[in-house]
Amino acid sequence: MNLNKKLQILFSFFLLLALSVRPSIALQERTRRIKYEIWVELDGQNKMLHGREKIIWTNQTQDTVQDMWFHLYYNAFKNEKSTMLQESKEESFGPLGMKVEDGEWGWIDIVSIKLADGRSLQSTIEFMWQDEPVHPGDQTVMRVLFPEPIMPGEDVQLEIDFQSKIPRGLQRTGYYKDSYFIAQWFPKPGVYEEGKGWNCHEYHLSSEFYADFADYTVHITVPDDFIVGASGNQIRATANEPEERVTYTFSQASIHDFAWTADPNFLKIERDFIADEEVSAEEYDEVSRRLWIPVEDVKLNDVKMILLIRKEHKKQINRHFQALKAAIKYYGLWYGPYPYETVTMVDPPFRTGSGGMEYPTLFTAGTSILRSKDVHSPEGVIIHEFGHGYWYGLCANNEFEEAWLDEGINTYSTGKVLAQAYGPGAFPVSFNRIPLNRFIEMPTYTDYELDRALGIHVVELDPITTYSWKFFNRGSYGLNVYFRASTCLNTLERLVGQDTMIKILREFQTRFRFKHPHTQDFIDVVNEISGRDLTWFFEELFFSTLNLDYGVSFLDSREKEEVVRGIFDKNGTKEELTSKKVENLRRGRKENNTQNIYITDVVARRFGEARLGGDVTLKLKIVFKDGSEEVRLWRGRERWKKFRFEGTSKVAYAQIDPEDIWLIDSNRANNSLRRNPSRSGIWKVTSQFFFFVQNFLQLVSGLS
Amino acid sequence: MMGIFKLFGLGFQTVNKKIKIAVYLWVVNLLFSLVVIAPLYFLLQSEFSRSLLENQIAKGNDFLIWMGDFIFKNRDFYPALLGWILVPLLLYLFFNIFLSGGVIGRIASRDEKTSLSNFLSDCGKYFYRFFRVFLISLIGFIVFFGVIYKLISALLEIWTENASTEWPLIFVSNLKFLIAVLLFSIARMFFDYVKIRLVVEDSKKAVRSTLLNFAFLGKKFFRAWSLYLLVGLVVVILFIIFILVHRISPQNGIFFIFLFLWQQLYVFSRMWTKMLFFSTEYHFAALNPNH
Repeated sequence: MNLNKKLQILFSFFLLLALSVRPSIALQERTRRIKYEIWVELDGQNKMLHGREKIIWTNQTQDTVQDMWFHLYYNAFKNEKSTMLQESKEESFGPLGMKVEDGEWGWIDIVSIKLADGRSLQSTIEFMWQDEPVHPGDQTVMRVLFPEPIMPGEDVQLEIDFQSKIPRGLQRTGYYKDSYFIAQWFPKPGVYEEGKGWNCHEYHLSSEFYADFADYTVHITVPDDFIVGASGNQIRATANEPEERVTYTFSQASIHDFAWTADPNFLKIERDFIADEEVSAEEYDEVSRRLWIPVEDVKLNDVKMILLIRKEHKKQINRHFQALKAAIKYYGLWYGPYPYETVTMVDPPFRTGSGGMEYPTLFTAGTSILRSKDVHSPEGVIIHEFGHGYWYGLCANNEFEEAWLDEGINTYSTGKVLAQAYGPGAFPVSFNRIPLNRFIEMPTYTDYELDRALGIHVVELDPITTYSWKFFNRGSYGLNVYFRASTCLNTLERLVGQDTMIKILREFQTRFRFKHPHTQDFIDVVNEISGRDLTWFFEELFFSTLNLDYGVSFLDSREKEEVVRGIFDKNGTKEELTSKKVENLRRGRKENNTQNIYITDVVARRFGEARLGGDVTLKLKIVFKDGSEEVRLWRGRERWKKFRFEGTSKVAYAQIDPEDIWLIDSNRANNSLRRNPSRSGIWKVTSQFFFFVQNFLQLVSGLS
Repeated sequence: MMGIFKLFGLGFQTVNKKIKIAVYLWVVNLLFSLVVIAPLYFLLQSEFSRSLLENQIAKGNDFLIWMGDFIFKNRDFYPALLGWILVPLLLYLFFNIFLSGGVIGRIASRDEKTSLSNFLSDCGKYFYRFFRVFLISLIGFIVFFGVIYKLISALLEIWTENASTEWPLIFVSNLKFLIAVLLFSIARMFFDYVKIRLVVEDSKKAVRSTLLNFAFLGKKFFRAWSLYLLVGLVVVILFIIFILVHRISPQNGIFFIFLFLWQQLYVFSRMWTKMLFFSTEYHFAALNPNH
């Protein structure tokens, strides 16, 4: 190769390198297009928040942006014309408890909104409705118009004065007496999507949130006897002694929401997750080996854990920290190290309606005074809400439009972590808030079993990928995006293998951190990491309402007739075998102990509408009475397929999917068929129900 | 006046002399329960008897898997479920009114021996009177629970409305349950004595007996109620014994049969305590000169 050629190649190489490096730097910058600085003062007497907000928003698209849309979530609690309260009235899935009592409403007002140069945008404010059906009384989405458009790459700085009336504890936010949990409390811009405009949905009954990543600095002023917890790190506490107030300053980069809580009744406990103490070298090696990644990439960070817990729950402090440590450890080992310095775990203030919810670097759990040790509570909710930090928190999919990407993946991953850290848990049983697990032995279960039992019921209602507010009802939303999605992911795991599934989720997590991924992104990662085209899996199970149900519908063995009646050619002549001759011949065979040959027929059927695709086949196992086995594979496209065997033994049973890969199959009972029925289990269950009925009848007869 | 423990002893002896009645009651309970449970058995059989999942059911495994399947597959059956449960429930209720006549009649009878024919004869004799008492008792229950209990609940709710922790809620919900049980026991006891009066006096006047009972229990309420609660304590003790033995018993193999028999013994004990209530009340009423 001559020198010129070499130089050309070298030049091309560096050019490519430069081009590849530049976009990734730009992507990092693009992940944070907003800076917030917010000052807020809690007015406990009037249950108000007085706030001032400075926003710097960068146009990181190629579009010219004329306006800005904001979420004003607190207006969902303003009156019964809001989308949320209208939907709760229209909701068909049982009583909801979304009634707001007189005097307990919440709202948010923009007192002033100005550009950095002082020009007011107040006159341009209008409320918007993007979603169908339209609720024109809703005020949870506001738009302002810029006097000049914001060009690509330009910043706009806004200064907003606002007032929020805190609702009495309701949907994830509120107060009760002097206890506050404050979420979705400030004017928050939607997400600007290039070529599409502002993605800024109303606050629906069945939806959560979507916002851009930002750097937050928040100054919270409260009475000096309040204990405060918030997203991010507390960097300062400034006392104002004459007024008996304190201003806490919290800061955090690369998050897309900011929540906080204040309560004089909290106990605040800090502990550290020290990675080297919690994870052994052997555990690191094992993960490194399973996932084919260097040990250095598996190593976890130390994390400061902050717990705000109600005094009456202080006996459960250790339970809380143990669960959080397990979550940090296993989520970290499998899906990537937790990248933030702190995590705040909040035992929600009493009657603020804020339990079991996630925010970046902060989450609420929830427990009660009397708790059984056999039940995974509060451990389950702690692990679940921490886990959200990975999907909702770091990837930040649009929870309005693709809720399953957070809820479904997190329900699946919660089950894995719980199983690893704690094993199966018992069903809770209590009477008048007193746990009875010590006295009544309840069945134990692993999360995937519960997910499946719940998830199979909604297959014919809505696809998992339905927009949150467009599900048939709240039940369909919950069962689909949490449990059905989780069951499908558990099925996917069984299909591709546990280690591949971890790699898929780890890759999805790390590749799409800060990038608002979509369902197609997840499918692409699945295909890439598994090395198979599994798009059909998502088409059949996520995008459709097709039920998957394969089974064995027929099974029988019969003696092969070696000697039969009729006319047979023999040595040039025709010989008739009559019934009597046949009978004699058969008797003779029996007397000579000639071994019988049996013909066994098995029919596998596709009862449901969902079909397997790609390279996937279903295994059919046939076991004979002499212990021998046969295995056949079926692609499962047709409605049924018959398999025939000849052998010296009758069939004992046939089983489709003997490895239980297809967890999403809605009827596991028909996956196997035995020749001879068995009833011992049925008797056992029936007798238990029988006893229950006897006692129930006797109880009711007390009225007589 | 005879002490309540002696009265309890008398009642205890009477019940054990006429234990056959408890057997009749148990058989009726068994038959009704069989009618309710038979469709479930056949459904389970058709679903699982030829499936390998049946093995897991026998071992007590995969509870959610097979239960989830079963519920999903029979989801169209749910509207019929209410009728399936409600009809036998109502029939059992009315049948128990019928049987109560036999129970009290035989307890009050001087015959030492109990036969099915004289038991049924008493059932028939007192059924219409007891049915009218049942209708009156419904009014009584409405008063107790629709008015008295609601009033007490409302007062207790004032306390929990301003609670700052869960403790008041735990305390109040258990207190409300206790109050409900005690109110029920008072209502139940009251109408038991009405029935006993009808049998002892061989009267057909249910309303008159009810009104006279106010005077009777008005004077002897706390003694009568103490006796009633003493029998109630026996119910609780038997339940605790049942639960403790049930908890420590293995549930598989041959022990399953033991468990089933133990459960039936417990059901039988409930019939026995039902008789014990009537028996002690009868003796209390019979030994009271103002009755």
